[in-house]
Amino acid sequence: MNETEVHDLSDDADYATSIQQSSGMMRRSDSGKRSSSSDLDGAEIVYTKDNVAVHPTQYASERISGRLKLIKQENSLFMTWIPYKGQSSSSRLSEKDKNLYTIRALPFSDVRSIRRHTPTLGWQYVIVVMSSGLAFPPLYFYNGGVREFIATAKQHIVLVRSAEDGNVFLVNDFQNPLQRTLSSLELPMAVSGSNVPCTSLPASELPSNAHQENDVSVGSSERFQQNGRQQQKHHDPTRDLSIQILEKFSLVTRFARETTSQIFRDSDGFSINEGEKLDQSVPDHHPITASNESGKVPVASDPLELDKLSLAWGKPRQPPLGHEEWTTFLDSEGRVMDSQSLRKRIFYGGVEHNMRKEVWTILLGYHAYDSTYAEREYLTTIKKTEYETIKKQWQAKVRTDRSFSFYDGDENPNVYLLRDILLTYSFYNFDLGYCQGMSDLLSPILFVMGDESESFWCFVSLMERLGPNFNRDQSGMHSQLFALSKLVELLDSPLHNYFAQNDCLNYFFCFRWILIQFKREFEYEKTMQLWEVLWTHHPSEHLHLYVCVAILKRHRAKIMGEKMDFDTLLKFINELSDHIDLDATLRDAEALCLHAGENGAASIPPGTPPSLPLEDASIYPQPDDDIL
Amino acid sequence: MASSGNKNINAKLVLLGDVGAGKSSLVLRFVKGQFIEFQESTIGAAFFSQTVALNEATVKFEIWDTAGQERYHSLAPMYYRGAAAAIIVYDITNQTSFDRAKKWVQELQAQGNPNMVMALAGNKSDMLDARQVAAEEAQSYARENSLFFMETSAKTANNVNDLFYEIAKRLPLMQPASNPSGMVLVDRPADKATGASCCS
Repeated sequence: MNETEVHDLSDDADYATSIQQSSGMMRRSDSGKRSSSSDLDGAEIVYTKDNVAVHPTQYASERISGRLKLIKQENSLFMTWIPYKGQSSSSRLSEKDKNLYTIRALPFSDVRSIRRHTPTLGWQYVIVVMSSGLAFPPLYFYNGGVREFIATAKQHIVLVRSAEDGNVFLVNDFQNPLQRTLSSLELPMAVSGSNVPCTSLPASELPSNAHQENDVSVGSSERFQQNGRQQQKHHDPTRDLSIQILEKFSLVTRFARETTSQIFRDSDGFSINEGEKLDQSVPDHHPITASNESGKVPVASDPLELDKLSLAWGKPRQPPLGHEEWTTFLDSEGRVMDSQSLRKRIFYGGVEHNMRKEVWTILLGYHAYDSTYAEREYLTTIKKTEYETIKKQWQAKVRTDRSFSFYDGDENPNVYLLRDILLTYSFYNFDLGYCQGMSDLLSPILFVMGDESESFWCFVSLMERLGPNFNRDQSGMHSQLFALSKLVELLDSPLHNYFAQNDCLNYFFCFRWILIQFKREFEYEKTMQLWEVLWTHHPSEHLHLYVCVAILKRHRAKIMGEKMDFDTLLKFINELSDHIDLDATLRDAEALCLHAGENGAASIPPGTPPSLPLEDASIYPQPDDDIL
Repeated sequence: MASSGNKNINAKLVLLGDVGAGKSSLVLRFVKGQFIEFQESTIGAAFFSQTVALNEATVKFEIWDTAGQERYHSLAPMYYRGAAAAIIVYDITNQTSFDRAKKWVQELQAQGNPNMVMALAGNKSDMLDARQVAAEEAQSYARENSLFFMETSAKTANNVNDLFYEIAKRLPLMQPASNPSGMVLVDRPADKATGASCCS
């Protein structure tokens, strides 16, 4: 990186020209393929370009061609580049090579800059550089369209031309007017020379003391630019991380101003490498939340304020995994090549509904990640026969079985299917039998799979992990509720103390959440999204417990402020049903999980569901004595 | 606990009984005047509230509806502790559910609040053709154990409101109820608002 003076772009003639040019260009392209830039629910494809290629070797003939897309999801812009299936120009390039280069739902908040090359001879290409300093290989536009690509991106994110290199565009993912303002104020720093796209970017400067940050929010651009200029002389290793925090912060609109200043005021709390975990002493850095919803009782301040925590650790949600992208995870025979990256992808975006039937079988472990299309098809056939055999065991006698009488008489054929599968399961797993709550776990699976036998086997796979929830002695539930209490103690000790003082430490108010995995807390579609996220086991097999912590923390002020006792709390928690924001909760949960790190993992005893049972334990221990 | 003050009484009431006996249906009929043929099973416990007006007082029931399956039996003490009243429900077309109801009575007699008002409800009284438990048998069992007994039908609404009304009348309104042992007392005003429920 060049240690150059910061350029004030507002009086840079070339910059001004480029703005004008690109806005003119935008208008032209507006009349073309872009149909709408209005906010829609879900993902919107705002740019598509075919024949965009990567050159894995020095020979252009060995290129991998694919389709480049810009996708807008809520307020975030994502880029994907997905190679075409089975169209390698060279036989030397395997599906694995293609997978290596695939760009899956890259959020622009993770992008530092885009460098464009428009040589007079040869193909135009761009190089995308991440905030981390890593760069993707050049993307060659065989059909042209680099200008349109940049212009389209510019419509959705803040993109400015670097003062040092007219072909480098710097990315700041700020959406709303306030953030735009902040963004433009901070431009001098964010812009400073990142004209070395292919190598790791060195740490540089951002102001990290409160005094200057307070100036930022005032909106005095001139003064701030001067500050920025001064800052530029210093070398502050926290800067790179600060930029990332700023980018993440940009996604949380309503806490814009105060959060910016607080983050920087507390910057020593965050100025660590991302690989490290904060230790428990960090929470004390945060100021006490002034406002208290109830206003009745002073509430102990949250040692770990979720908004800030999620800002720093929780990643934005992505659009769901669709068919085209799904195939990029598979080799030509249908094996998942990199299960970890697949699970991570699903964790952040879920799965499009029409893909669930295929993906869930693998996610649940019914089909192995490394199984081929043919193997899966074969297993499905075998398992269908096996299912019919188990089902025959009960078919003759069930008419007189009153234990299922509450299912009788409904005209809905799906209820019969549900009943048949659960009855068959009670014969498949005699020890566990049928339990209230199982139908909640089966019903979304049946809805997705449609097929009776396939639903059954997916349910079997799910119950391998969740079966202990239904242990007669409640041991599976106890171990999870115990782990939950440990996590709350770790992540919100005042709340934990409150529960202790009010005889609520058994956490039974979270019983329904855990027993049926929040099935009754969310609408159907949201439940399915949550489940596929939980099934990825990323970043923890026990993310559901962090989800519990996240929800409790969101309501801590009310719980403590209104001095809820056990009964009131149980009632309050039950009534939260349908009032929980899933995406925000998942972000909080991820942030809490990452923050807790090894201390969190150590709070959860080995073998706690949905971990697979320990080797030396019987599968479903059923001691006679009640623990309660 | 039932507590009196300006003739407005809050009373915690818990429903216990075998799976499929109709606990949730009774509550739904009483609270919302509705009946669903295939009521989904209760997980953990559900909370409702409904007010009954007597001549001398208004009783607001805080109703805890519990999961019926034997498997979840061990959770029940959490729900019935501190309850002023309990309805033990069985299905008149299912002898097993009546046997189960007797076990609940025994447990409450041994573990519950000694001043608790207990009612025995033989539900599904509309299904006379399938009756397995004679009304006389249940009535004499109730008498022996000092229970208030009624046959009810959540489906037709027969006797449902009467059941809750009769329980309200039997609450020990004027005597301050003693606290069950082991209960943690929370320091808060006696007239604590419980009107946050969405059901009333």
